[in-house]
Amino acid sequence: MKEISKIIDGKRVIIKKPELLAPAGNLEKLKIAILYGADAVFVGGKEFSLRSQASNFTLEDIKEGVEFARKHNAHIHVTCNIILHQDNIEGIEDYLRKLDEIGVSAIIVADPYILTLAKKLNLSLEVHVSTQLSSLNLKAIEFYHSMGMDRVVLGREVTFEDLKEIMTHTPIDIEYFIHGAMCIAYSGRCMLSNYFSRRDANRGGCSQSCRWYYDLYENDSLINEEGEIPFSMSSKDMSLVHHIGELIELGVDSFKIEGRMKSLHYIATVVSTYRKLIDAYCENPDAFINDDFYYNELLKSANRALCHGFFYENPTSNEQLFNLRDEHPTQEFVMRVLDYDEKTGMACIEQRNYFKVGDKIEIFSPSHENIYFEVQHIYNEDKEEIEIANHPMEILYVPINIKVETNDLGRKVPHD
Amino acid sequence: MKLALQLNKIEYLYDYLSMGVELFVVGGEYSMQAVLKLSVEEIKQVKEKCNHKKVYVLVNGLYDQYEMEGLSLYLKELNGIIDGLLFQDFGVLQIVKENKYSFDMMYTPETLNTNGLSINALSKYGVTSAFVSGVIPLEEQLIIKEQCSIPLMIKGHGIEYLASSKRKLLSTYKDASSKDFSTNQTLIMKPRDSDFKCYIYEDQRGTHVLSYDRLYTLDLFNTLKVFDYLYIETLMMNENEAVEVVSLYSDALKGLENGRYNKEVKEFLPLLKKLNSSLTRGFLFDQSVYKLEDMRKIDNERNQ
Repeated sequence: MKEISKIIDGKRVIIKKPELLAPAGNLEKLKIAILYGADAVFVGGKEFSLRSQASNFTLEDIKEGVEFARKHNAHIHVTCNIILHQDNIEGIEDYLRKLDEIGVSAIIVADPYILTLAKKLNLSLEVHVSTQLSSLNLKAIEFYHSMGMDRVVLGREVTFEDLKEIMTHTPIDIEYFIHGAMCIAYSGRCMLSNYFSRRDANRGGCSQSCRWYYDLYENDSLINEEGEIPFSMSSKDMSLVHHIGELIELGVDSFKIEGRMKSLHYIATVVSTYRKLIDAYCENPDAFINDDFYYNELLKSANRALCHGFFYENPTSNEQLFNLRDEHPTQEFVMRVLDYDEKTGMACIEQRNYFKVGDKIEIFSPSHENIYFEVQHIYNEDKEEIEIANHPMEILYVPINIKVETNDLGRKVPHD
Repeated sequence: MKLALQLNKIEYLYDYLSMGVELFVVGGEYSMQAVLKLSVEEIKQVKEKCNHKKVYVLVNGLYDQYEMEGLSLYLKELNGIIDGLLFQDFGVLQIVKENKYSFDMMYTPETLNTNGLSINALSKYGVTSAFVSGVIPLEEQLIIKEQCSIPLMIKGHGIEYLASSKRKLLSTYKDASSKDFSTNQTLIMKPRDSDFKCYIYEDQRGTHVLSYDRLYTLDLFNTLKVFDYLYIETLMMNENEAVEVVSLYSDALKGLENGRYNKEVKEFLPLLKKLNSSLTRGFLFDQSVYKLEDMRKIDNERNQ
């Protein structure tokens, strides 16, 4: 087991800081994830990747992402995690070589052919075993180690107790999910979408059938009548925000945030919250107090209701979503700062959602504490004063009396 | 092509043997979606009664770390008794390799064996046979057969796997809804606004969802005969249905050997449909899609 902490100047500090791995569905989100504190970002290519409804990256996009990541001392992982069918095989070798040439740090793979091919090609990039293979135990990890794999992304079903045992003996790096949506079935082993929608879950077409409503019948009689709580297999999202310290102490190599289809605001909020949490814990683990600050920060973005997943034990009814579609953030994302003129105190912003004069805004940033201000004036590009900002992506000017930075994000504080 | 079957009742073993079943799959302590849960001693007795026919055990769960010690001892007990394991957790394969056990290791992940190159890749790491996924068209299954050098099994008849979850989904629903129903039985589940029916049940390994309709291939033997094993899934069948189904498939197979198949299958098919009318071709002549434009097309068709 690797050394996790040591005493420096009489104080214990964490020396094995986990990688914070964030998702991104496009280049803008990739850059925001890195700016807000991700050590690595995982993205999907146009081919060989799940989440076909995410924007997904061309090779040119990936190249730009790698260059941006390098400048910020971060890494790019590319998901090549489809389960190949006969008609998907063509082009995979060339694709892997190109990813390697571009400088991608790792690929995340589920199909055994791609796993072995990537190693056979002697590429510089690491090969990570995808969570789609639902690895839950040390022997499975040892199997992948014997194949030459560099890291295993564990199944979300792994409990903390099992993780302890795994981390004590694992011969290779371990990636563990800390935040995001959960599949209801074992990943890679669910064909609900295939049967109900003819959409292939293992090639990125999942129709999320587990979140649908179902009628249940016992001996031909309907159990759940119309109007009653419908049966669904939908899970609350997972957040291990209260357990980050315990996971750091185990030496988990990478903390993964799920959500390549999530919004820019979501990614910035979640990444920045875990970044601050990890850094604060590692700096002084013995004095660290995990109060509700971090949890409340997460709630400002649009999550489903949150739960601990399998961390303690098998999820109960408290971890399931029945008749609930609660994805409303406590605060709405309204602006992204493009520039700030210190002399005039004027911020040039990109409008993202409706706001108006009189609204209270919270600006959050990877580089400073949160700032609150009330919108006194809004000007359009022609410097004409307007009362309401209701055109998405419109460039506007808003006076803010405290210095803000490019790429800071603003969200509307709800009225009392 | 040989007939394989999940054994649904020990008392019928001699009947199945007389019908020509060559490979029996049995459930045990670590099985998922098994009809029987036999002890090692019972499995040993089945093997002894089977004479030279093969007996495989379902060790087809995905196993938590805390289960591995017990699983390891279990595999040690099975070694030398049976011929092979149906597995999907590579932890199982690793234990077998480390201990140099002599099982045929049939990789049976239900959803993942969808191309031949991947099966070939795994054959270099200890996989010695494979169960071809049922969610791909027959055309692709045949290409896999052409590409692979290790023995392959395909589903010939029976319900199809849809999903398994570690969660107790019926119990949690019962708890949340306060509805009064037993979670120790198989229920029927139907997506709202759809006619697709499936089975759902809970056991100690979690929750399982299976198709209500049974895949059938009785009339496809001229094409399927290239495969090594044709598997009959007896899960959710009553005893009578299982015996009758095996008998029909066995007779059809004999017909294939003696040149009477094309004529006889026309008589067998109505008999099969009489046993259970909920029959399906599954994905044999169908295709699932995943590209955005194809999915939109399907969604539009559905909404029209």
